[in-house]
Amino acid sequence: MAARWMTQVAIGLALLVCAMSCHSGETLQTKPDEPAAPFVPGSSAITGTIKYDGAVPEFLKVPIDTSAVPDCAAHRTTPLYREDLVLGEGQALANVIVHITSGLPKRAYPVPTEPVELTQAGCQYAPHVFCIRVGQPLKVLNPEPMMHNVNANGKANSPFNMSMVSSVKEKSVEFDRPEFVVPFKCDVHPWMNAYCAVMDHPFFAVTGKDGKFTIANLDAGTYDIEAWHEALGVQKAKLQVAKDETKTIDFTFTKPSK
Amino acid sequence: MIHMPGLPFLASKDGATIDFSLLLIHLLMLAMLLAWGAVFVIILARFRRSRHPKAEYAGIKTRLAGWAEAGVVVAEAAMLVGISIPFWATRVNAVPGADQQPVEVRVVAQQYVWNVHYPGPDGKFGRTNALLVDDKAGNPVGLDRNDPAAKDDVIAVNQLHLPVNRPVIVHLTSKDVIHSFALPELRVKRDAIPGMTVDVPFTPTVTTAQFRNELKAEATRSYSEKPGGLADQLAAIDKRDYEIACAQMCGLAHYRMRGTLVVQTQDEFQKWLKEQSLRSSVVEETW
Amino acid sequence: MTSHSPSLPSKAERNPAAFSFRAALVSTDHKVIGILYGVTALTFLLTGFLIMMLMRWQLAYPGRALPGASALFGSNSARMPGGVMVPEFYYQLGAMHGTIMVFLAIVPLLVGAFGTYLVPLQLGAPNTAFPRLTRLGYWSYLAGGVVWLSSFALPGGAAQSGWTSYPPLSIIAGHGQTFWLIGMILIIVSSIAGAINMIVTIIQLRVIGLTYMRLPFFVWSQLVTAFLLLLAFPPLGAAGILQLMDRVVDTSFFLPSGLVVSGAALTANVGGQTIPRGGGSALLWQHLFWFLAHPEVYVLVLPAMGMVAEILANNARKPLWGYKSMVYGTIFLGVMSMLVWAHHMFLTGMGTVITAFFQATTMIVSIPSIIVLTALLASLWGGAIRFNTPMLFALAFLPMFGIGGLTGLPLGLAVTDIHLHDTYYVIDHFHYIVVCGTLSAIFGGIYYWFPKVTGRAMNERLGRIHFWSSLVLLNCIFMPMFIQGMAGVSRRLYDGGLSYAHAQPVLKLNVFITHAAFALALAQIPFIVNLLWSLRRGPRVEANPWQATTLEWAAASPPLAQGNFETPPVAHRGPCEYSVPGKDKDYTPQWEQ
Ligand code: HEM
Ligand SMILES: [Cu+2]
Ligand SMILES: [Cu+2]
Repeated sequence: MAARWMTQVAIGLALLVCAMSCHSGETLQTKPDEPAAPFVPGSSAITGTIKYDGAVPEFLKVPIDTSAVPDCAAHRTTPLYREDLVLGEGQALANVIVHITSGLPKRAYPVPTEPVELTQAGCQYAPHVFCIRVGQPLKVLNPEPMMHNVNANGKANSPFNMSMVSSVKEKSVEFDRPEFVVPFKCDVHPWMNAYCAVMDHPFFAVTGKDGKFTIANLDAGTYDIEAWHEALGVQKAKLQVAKDETKTIDFTFTKPSK
Repeated sequence: MIHMPGLPFLASKDGATIDFSLLLIHLLMLAMLLAWGAVFVIILARFRRSRHPKAEYAGIKTRLAGWAEAGVVVAEAAMLVGISIPFWATRVNAVPGADQQPVEVRVVAQQYVWNVHYPGPDGKFGRTNALLVDDKAGNPVGLDRNDPAAKDDVIAVNQLHLPVNRPVIVHLTSKDVIHSFALPELRVKRDAIPGMTVDVPFTPTVTTAQFRNELKAEATRSYSEKPGGLADQLAAIDKRDYEIACAQMCGLAHYRMRGTLVVQTQDEFQKWLKEQSLRSSVVEETW
Repeated sequence: MTSHSPSLPSKAERNPAAFSFRAALVSTDHKVIGILYGVTALTFLLTGFLIMMLMRWQLAYPGRALPGASALFGSNSARMPGGVMVPEFYYQLGAMHGTIMVFLAIVPLLVGAFGTYLVPLQLGAPNTAFPRLTRLGYWSYLAGGVVWLSSFALPGGAAQSGWTSYPPLSIIAGHGQTFWLIGMILIIVSSIAGAINMIVTIIQLRVIGLTYMRLPFFVWSQLVTAFLLLLAFPPLGAAGILQLMDRVVDTSFFLPSGLVVSGAALTANVGGQTIPRGGGSALLWQHLFWFLAHPEVYVLVLPAMGMVAEILANNARKPLWGYKSMVYGTIFLGVMSMLVWAHHMFLTGMGTVITAFFQATTMIVSIPSIIVLTALLASLWGGAIRFNTPMLFALAFLPMFGIGGLTGLPLGLAVTDIHLHDTYYVIDHFHYIVVCGTLSAIFGGIYYWFPKVTGRAMNERLGRIHFWSSLVLLNCIFMPMFIQGMAGVSRRLYDGGLSYAHAQPVLKLNVFITHAAFALALAQIPFIVNLLWSLRRGPRVEANPWQATTLEWAAASPPLAQGNFETPPVAHRGPCEYSVPGKDKDYTPQWEQ
């Protein structure tokens, strides 16, 4: 019976290695399972404006040459510009994520069931920077008859790389761990990229072209707050908000010196 | 001269040797198949049981098989020594010297585009560094803009422009996985392998404009009564380019890792390079 | 350990008509395991075939929903959303079609089923030399197959880097590749166990009088094959383990420095620190892989040649022409096949000298193939050929293998390989050998030895329908691929070339090919019906229905469960003494005084 023995050991080993390899890269997080109190929206808020201070770089004036991938050009009515610096009126800085990093009470923050939408129209991810909650569906849209691949290279969340051929109009994905941030990229259109912050609470905001943000429904308290920009880095602040107060805090980003 | 049927349009100097070799070897194969097949059919007809009910114990005594085998050996050896090895030595593995003023260009493959890097007027490729690679910022090859030699370099994606009738050396490499740089109309193919750079020499001989004209002439010649067909066909040919195909599986979009090659006159080529250098010069260093 | 004493035959083993599955599970009898191999490998063959049909649909009608796929896969599946295959799935199917066909279907049929079942019988032996090694071989093979098939159920799906698994692509791929490597290691264990067993069996268990030059040619082909497997698989085993480490513990054996994948430098996490990966070589894998895989290609044909030789001699009623030259040719073929591997790599930037070497060895290796093929053809001259189903398949092997072999020449010459490399021409070249050639031989073998294995004959009429329809359809499938290859259409294209202008003129052929492939599936129905029907209802046959000469026909049909023969036969002469002058029968078996 020795042979059967060996076979069984071989299979066992094989399965063990499989099981191990499936788990590599994921850091196991043991969450203490004490039930958190339900969430009651508070009446305080933090708001502000984010600005860019510095010379406007040349590249903002030169559109990306989408003709490198010919089927794309046909679907664009407007020229496409680089998005690692998007400025509004008066140097207002878009695509900054402002979020609370500590000071929040432990609560069961309900996860919205309506999905966040990410579209790939015109070979451009929109929004370019966005936040999503753990477990909230992300609906990736592909409105044009185009082929993209969505390569989301998470570290805490397992990375995925899925194609969206022209007949696939939408796909839904979810993230099961908080992560700041998951980069998205389309390898077919190398300029296409986006950033997704996976949050375990609802206190975040992403600035638009006006550079403004508001984080509402906060309880009174002392919070660590962080503003993040993909190219210009991170700025932090600590601030105290009283009940019913709306506190204003502005950030100004500059080009990082090398 | 007879052509090997079924081949794509031919637009390079050395491609003719490849086509000729293909023809020769297929003629040899055909000869062997026919000779061999004829014997086969004769045997099956002549020695079927109903016609030849009693088999002979002794085998056929013939030198023919030996002679035929010797003939095949000689033919194979001739192709090997006469064409294949010299071709590799002088055309594939040898790059044209400076006296022939070759055009040099780096082609850096990545999932799923072909990045093209020209040295610019100074003829020197700027330094590159994997850590500087930034696709979204238009620096897919990681060009170090602090290097003076890099200032005038030109980067293009999926668009390779070359002048006609000048030797070309493509310095071929890859950033991620193995690809294969294939120009079917130029009979050029070589793997793009990360971690190594391979020099691929060839000489385009037909400009894209001429190529289209020949396709049109051919379409008009072979055109048959389909109403409206010809105009559409000719319009399509106006968009037809030489293609850069990826011939080695490189991932889920391998099948559409397609670039275009535009072969131009020397003047047109220079003009295009100048336009591109304007665009390339605004590529900022990575933030 | 009591298992050293011969165990008493169970009821099922004494009465093989009642083939018992439970007995088969623990059996060490070469016949039972041969049958297990055969049934399993035929199932995998069908699996590989169905996978291919899915691919062919996509190639003919890129982006069009496959009717019924939504029902089968679910309309929201990640693989075929709305019935339309996505590229990832196509590449999974492609890689697994190749892997399954080579490692789970064809080789196990040739070596596992025919080899394990027939070789001891043809040697006059009661069993293989190491019966429990035979069993290990089968179960390890099955385990590998199960690991491979189950990988389709992984979230990221099965391996999708081709059956060649070239790094770095295979290293940055999903978990399916890990399963692929583990399955491969199990297959390697199986093959090496089987090869050792085969070699020792042939050397040690030949019955009295059975000298080497009296061995049936089939046994010779199995012996050379076993040596190839034994020598070629260990390097792949090593390479597989290295790749597994690259994937699982972040080593960089096959990863050169400076890799940037999807915009990010490839890094490893070592002790909490992020360090760049690199320092390895992407080409190293190719050398190790092809060092196995080229001999493996000969493993895919040599036993087929052996079977064809047996069937041809029997049905031409003539000795093999140039038996000795065939044997030496085969040995030479085996040796040379270990020296040609880099002809798969001409375009990786190889220099003149090394390409010259590998071109020369490739041209040289074509010579013994031609010799064997010519000898087989010459064996027919002067025969009294009877055209039964096995003979038809064996005859078809000759021109099909001929076409496959000839089309290897332009791929083996570096100058012409430049245009044809990685096109459909290559796909076609090896499919002519492996499908049109080897698979024909396998079908011939099944029709020929079925009476020995079951004691019943298969139906001739169904066999002929199967043969003619398959032959015609196979050529309908594979002839057009030469045209596509010559036009420069790359292999492994998810849309069959739709994206490329240069492929447009030959794109319509894809539809034709696919229809032929679907028809080929229908053409297998007579075979499956025939197989199942004959198993129960086929007319009973006696020991030697084909009036053959080799020793397996001395045993009863089916052979005795224990020990095969009533009394061990003695070999008095060469393996195919047909139509000996002065004898009243037209065959003189090896075992006759
Ligand atoms: C009638 C039967 C078969 C048909 C119609 C068929 C067809 C195909 C097709 C369409 C491809 C993929 C081409 C591509 O995407 O590049 C392929 C690949 C392949 N086939 Fe078959 N096949 C058949 C049987 C077999 C058999 C019996 C084998 C056994 C060895 C085999 C071995 C392979 C291999 C190794 C590949 C390459 C896979 C890869 O790209 O990594 N095929 N076949
Ligand atoms: Cu895209
Ligand atoms: Cu590629």
